Amino acid sequence: MREPDSFIHFKAISKVFGAITVVDALDFHVARGEFVSLLGPSGSGKTTLLMMLAGFETPSGGSIHVDGRRVEHLPPYKREMGVVFQNYALFPHMTISENVAFPLKMRGVARTERDTRVKRALDLVRLGHLADRKPSQLSGGQQQRIALSRALVYEPKVVLMDEPLSALDKQLREHMQLEIRALHRDLGLTVIFVTHDQGEALTMSDRVAVLNRGKIEQFDTPSGLYDRPRTRFVAEFIGETNLLAGRVAGRSGETATVALGTGASVTCDRGAAFETAQDVIVSVRPEMLHLVQDPGADNALPVTITDHVYHGDHIRLHLACGESHLVARAGRRDAAPPIGSKAFASFAPGDCSLVVP
Amino acid sequence: MSSASLRPGGAAFNALRLGFGTLVVGFLLLPLVAILPLAFTDSVFLVYPISGPSMRWFGVLAESQAWTRAIVNSLIIGTGATIVATVIGTLAAMGLRRELVPFSGLLRSIFLLPMVVPAVVLGVGMQILYARMGLASSYLGVIIAHAVLCVPFVLVNVASSLASMDPALERAAASLGASPVEVFRNVTLPLAMPGILTGAVFAFATSLDEVVITLFVAGPNQTTLARQMFSSLRENISPAIAAAAFIIMILTFVLLLAVKGASLIGALRKKREISGL
Amino acid sequence: MSARLKALLLVTPLVVFLGLFFLWPLWMMIATAVQGGTVRLAFPQTATAIASWDGSDPPPAALQAALIRDLRADTPQERFGDAVRTLNSQQAGFRTLLPRTARTLREAAESDPVDLATVDPRWSDQAYWLALKRSMPAYTDANLLAAIDLKRTDEARITPVEPDFAVNRAIMLRTFVIAIQVTLLCAAIGLPFAMLTASLSGWKRNALLIAVLLPLWTSLLVRTAAWLILLQDSGLINQTLRAIGLIDSPLSLIYNRTGVLIAMTHVLLPLMVLPIYASLIAIPRNLMPAAAALGAAPLQAFRHVLLPLAMPGLLSGSLLVFMVALGYYITPALTGGAGDQMISSVIAFYATGTANWGMAGALGLFLLAPTTVLYIVYSRLSRTPLVQT
Repeated sequence: MREPDSFIHFKAISKVFGAITVVDALDFHVARGEFVSLLGPSGSGKTTLLMMLAGFETPSGGSIHVDGRRVEHLPPYKREMGVVFQNYALFPHMTISENVAFPLKMRGVARTERDTRVKRALDLVRLGHLADRKPSQLSGGQQQRIALSRALVYEPKVVLMDEPLSALDKQLREHMQLEIRALHRDLGLTVIFVTHDQGEALTMSDRVAVLNRGKIEQFDTPSGLYDRPRTRFVAEFIGETNLLAGRVAGRSGETATVALGTGASVTCDRGAAFETAQDVIVSVRPEMLHLVQDPGADNALPVTITDHVYHGDHIRLHLACGESHLVARAGRRDAAPPIGSKAFASFAPGDCSLVVP
Repeated sequence: MSSASLRPGGAAFNALRLGFGTLVVGFLLLPLVAILPLAFTDSVFLVYPISGPSMRWFGVLAESQAWTRAIVNSLIIGTGATIVATVIGTLAAMGLRRELVPFSGLLRSIFLLPMVVPAVVLGVGMQILYARMGLASSYLGVIIAHAVLCVPFVLVNVASSLASMDPALERAAASLGASPVEVFRNVTLPLAMPGILTGAVFAFATSLDEVVITLFVAGPNQTTLARQMFSSLRENISPAIAAAAFIIMILTFVLLLAVKGASLIGALRKKREISGL
Repeated sequence: MSARLKALLLVTPLVVFLGLFFLWPLWMMIATAVQGGTVRLAFPQTATAIASWDGSDPPPAALQAALIRDLRADTPQERFGDAVRTLNSQQAGFRTLLPRTARTLREAAESDPVDLATVDPRWSDQAYWLALKRSMPAYTDANLLAAIDLKRTDEARITPVEPDFAVNRAIMLRTFVIAIQVTLLCAAIGLPFAMLTASLSGWKRNALLIAVLLPLWTSLLVRTAAWLILLQDSGLINQTLRAIGLIDSPLSLIYNRTGVLIAMTHVLLPLMVLPIYASLIAIPRNLMPAAAALGAAPLQAFRHVLLPLAMPGLLSGSLLVFMVALGYYITPALTGGAGDQMISSVIAFYATGTANWGMAGALGLFLLAPTTVLYIVYSRLSRTPLVQT
């Protein structure tokens, strides 16, 4: 059965290399026109998943459906997907226009129509003037845009990108992120984007699948991942966080009371999924942690300030809370308490998440 | 490695380096340089200073049936051996590329063995085999024997051009809609071509220079240029040999420059254009 | 079609080709060296009959009759000749005895009873029959023993051959010595030259590299011919030395060991320089400055950092040069004297000069075996490819 918004459907998909399970029975849907990132550390299975969708790896189990059709047994050249490779994979022996014309030639498009469409595709990435150059004569950013234009020229149903920006320097990468987002929006593309850069995934995607050891830890919108991580892996992998281990002491509705290992007790608004006496970890982002002198404030934990680190737009305060080490973020104009002084670190019950250890 | 650190300083040490370098370069290049002008001597002796210049000894080669026959034979056998070695060597290099064949490493070592096994040893074996197969003193026999020696050069060159090819290129072609045959024709083959050509030139040069196996398997009708030069060198050293050597060297260098030069010019152009960007 | 099957199909032509025309010939050479085949082929009936004769009694009539039938048979001339040569090497006299006996037998009528001793009195000498028996085994170590100057006596004991015929061991030793000398010379020139090349940059480095590659790309025969011309009495070297007054009469530089060593060192030097150079340029650029910063004087840095890192290259270069030098034929044949010929020339002599393939094969095996072992060691040790392009 097809869900109404399911354009790409991975159904119990697995990949096993020898004794290693790289992709472990994954199940998820991608909607038409959606920009989805597969995010995870190296070895998490994200590239293997992409390669199975592109047809370069055969699944060990499960099936892949695109637009209602099973594709896992089709060879890559019959899948009609545009793939942008990590190092662009432009054909070095062909000119830029020959590169972009290649997929049209393979589809038997007539020469005159080919020329028009190549021109249009190159204009799309504003590189029409480089048509007769060889790839080696282009800069990294230009090659990246050509690779994009080549993957789009035959209007594929899906565009797959395998860490396409990893070879570019920071500034160029940010520029290309905007450009790819604009193309996605303007052309209504469905994009599957593989990256190990969480910042990139958060800025570009409609939804992000966080992968770890072949399993999806959480498949959610960027803000869902950041504000409401469901596992310790996601909390740590996306952004920076403070983790406080404890046990659920009681729950009323959404609100859970957690007894921390330090002896203190905190409350958290997002505790519906946890039972009393269950081990949990409380995750608090540094910017949600405030230093106060009032021990009666929300979730106030006694801390000692151990260091200030200057970061330009903010100051990072390192705190010792019993055996734990916490980090809080302070505006640069805030008066930071001197090193060695004592205070309380406080956070609102709505500003923390409970995650499984 | 830093050149500065290799230099315990001082003009004396630098002079020593310069002197040693010049001496070795002289040793390496002197024979190559010295033999070329002698092809144009007018004298019957192979000595300096040359009297001439004259084309006399090229004339001698052209008029001698033994020499012209040998040159023609070398071209026939060299071409034949190059074709055989290039075709099967290229196929094998492509087959070995992804280590899909069992014992790939062992096979690769065995394929390179003809380069290592002493020519005389292989010659004896081939002589015995050819006597049984009826291939002795035939063009086919000599071509096959030369091809055995040429195959490693093709294999190594094609393998290295395939190894330097980004495998993502072929995946990219497939993802863009090219069937396996089209991928091979449009991407793999053109990118392997420099390696194939270099291998073919080395194969031809190897065949051109081959003496030992030829001594064992060729009959009087298949005498090659190298074989003819070898026997002339043993009998009497006449400037005809320098003329023959000139022909061999020029032939080899022209072919090598043709394949190596193309890639060299390409590299230079690329450099210039990138710096011009 | 699966990728694996496709790969297999691509490799098959070369496997078949080299199996047929490379491995099979080598196998045939080894087989010829150990087969006692020539005499068996020419005298098949005698071979069967002689097996039941223990060699102590006089040869029985049945054996004599078998030999007579074999000699009357229409044996190809070449096969008969090979057999006679082999027998003659066992027992002098067969070269005249067999053709004469065969002729007499063919002239006589088929039905006539023949006594071999009356055809030629030598047939009553048991030594000939014993030699015949000795030459009949399916496999023999005679060639292998002869290759290292040994033979079996009539009692099958292994003894050295007469000193006059014992030349192979000396030639093997000489081959080994020349290969070592050439390897040492190449190392002595190649190591500093490779270091010099690696220490330079830009056009200077390229010029030195081209100087190494150019000879490698030049015909071996042309290079040897060039040395022949340069080193002769009236050659450029002697002329120059005389012109600057260093010598009065020409030095003899050719047709002796000097000539062989100069020409072989020149031919093999690139094979030494390139692996060392490859291992040197793989050393990170900042290693020598790091050693200097840590307090190593230039010589100490060289001794403790550069030299150990250049060692793998030196080792593979030396193995390569030694391995190739062992089998050299052309260069010593052209630039050496009679006393400078290496094992290859003896093999060539047996194979093309006397068509004694058994002996050629046995000596070939003694050259092939060490070369193969060295190649295995080399391919284990070395990451540099065998050919530089």
